[in-house]
Formats: sequence, structure tokens, C-alpha cells
Amino acid sequence: MTETPTAFELTFQPNVELISIVRRFLSDFYERMIEDHDTVSRIALATHELLENAVKYASDGATFLSVTFEPGGTSSTVSIRLMNRANAEHIAAVATIFEEMSLHDDPFGHYQIAMARSAKRKVGSGLGLVRVRAEGEMTMSHTIEDDRVTILAQTTVTARRRS
Amino acid sequence: MSAASDLSVALRDFSANVRAEGRSLILRLSGNADMAAKDSLDSLLPRVHAEAQRISATEVQVDFRNLEFMNSSCFKSFVTWISEIGDLERSKEYKIRLLSNPEMHWQRRSLHALRCFAVDLISVES
Repeated sequence: MTETPTAFELTFQPNVELISIVRRFLSDFYERMIEDHDTVSRIALATHELLENAVKYASDGATFLSVTFEPGGTSSTVSIRLMNRANAEHIAAVATIFEEMSLHDDPFGHYQIAMARSAKRKVGSGLGLVRVRAEGEMTMSHTIEDDRVTILAQTTVTARRRS
Repeated sequence: MSAASDLSVALRDFSANVRAEGRSLILRLSGNADMAAKDSLDSLLPRVHAEAQRISATEVQVDFRNLEFMNSSCFKSFVTWISEIGDLERSKEYKIRLLSNPEMHWQRRSLHALRCFAVDLISVES
């Protein structure tokens, strides 16, 4: 098991093709530290969705991604942090989604509600962040400072045992 | 059946094709369903839906076994399609069977979520 925190940071301009490449890279990155393939998969999914969300709405094109793996005594914590500048409309939309998430204790139940609403939507899915919470099994929070949106998704994992 | 070209997609990292087997359609997906695949999937699934109704299909199998990943935008395309089936008269509904690959770990949660969205219409097979 890794004894010290392991971090990965990336800043890039919007390019949707990059996102899947980053997801594959991060899957390899997580595989080195996490025993369970299913856990690696849900973290990779969460990273992909958060990146897409940020890239789609970044007002100046730049998206900052930070991934940190912090080993602990009995478990480890993975933190995925995405930061981008956004316009007022997107900032309001993010705030609304987080407000809604706070009203639903059951992430999967909320996901089903969001899916029913999404089925009739003409623009966007409205599912990305909700999916991160439900399928990625992430604890999520966000901060807004001026036009900067930061989303933090965290999960606890069992680290790879030392061989 | 509609022209094969109407019911297929061939992109660099994503492909989809449909074939008929009696009163079933089989939709096979391969590759990576990310933002680059969204528009194609958005236009393909309504055509699959129309074809299923045209042949009075009893079932559409969706083969995810070679699908590496599906983002939420593409996932939404499936949600919309399933919702459209649910809006049909009961006599015109058809079932959807999702064929999954246990080695593609994302599929367990994503396909379970789809199934829960319409338990009467959807089954999942590994």
C-alpha cells in the first residue's frame, strides 16, 4: 500500500476527445493503488463525468483537475476536484443540482427521479453530477467564488494490499 | 427491415448496428460512448424504436458487451428511448433485454439503474 498521499493534477483546454483518454489513464493510475476493479471503475466514471461537466461549461476554456489518493489506517480516501470558470447560468444550475441533492438522502432514489425528468428534456441530460453521486458512490460538495466553480467528489476505498 | 445504413453508426471510437431475428431486434454497441457518440446515438435510437414498432417486435436486445464506457449524455438517450416505449399502448410495448459484460464494471450499476427505471420492460443478463 502507498504510505504517502499520491496526487495528480491536470489543466487543459476544452477538448472532449481528451476526456476518455484521461479516464483510461486514471483507471491505470487507480489500479496501482486500489485492490477492487469495481471501485476503480466507479472512480473512473466519476472522474469522466466531472470532467465532461467542467469542460462543457468552462467559460474561458480552462479546466483544472486534481486527484488525490490519501492512504489511511483501515481505508484510503480518493478526492477528485474539478475547478473551472463558468457563466452565471451554469453557476445557478450547479447550485440547483447541489440543493436538490441535499434534499435527497438516497442517491439512487434521486438518480431515478432525475432520470424520469431527463427522459423529457430536449437539451442536456441533467444526469452527470447525480450519476457521480449515485453510481460513483461519491460524497459531493461544491464552492462558488465569483465565477469559479469547484466541485469536490470523495470516496473511501480499500487500498491495495502490499505484496 | 430498414436499410442497414439507417440503423448503424460507425465512428472512430464508437459503432452500433442492428439486425433482425424474427420479431426481435439486436442492437450491438461497441467502443466508447462519450460526447463524440451522443448525436449519433440520439438519432439512432428513435430509428430503432420506429423499426421495432414497424415489425411489431416483441423484444429488442441491446448488446453492451463490447461497450467500454457510456457517459451520462448517451445514458440519457437510452432513458428517453425507454420512456418512449413506456408511453406506447400496452399492446404495442416491447421488452428490452440488456446484455452486459461483467468485466466492464461500470455496466453493473448503470444497467441496474436503467432496469429500475422500467422494471416491467427491462431485463439485464450477464
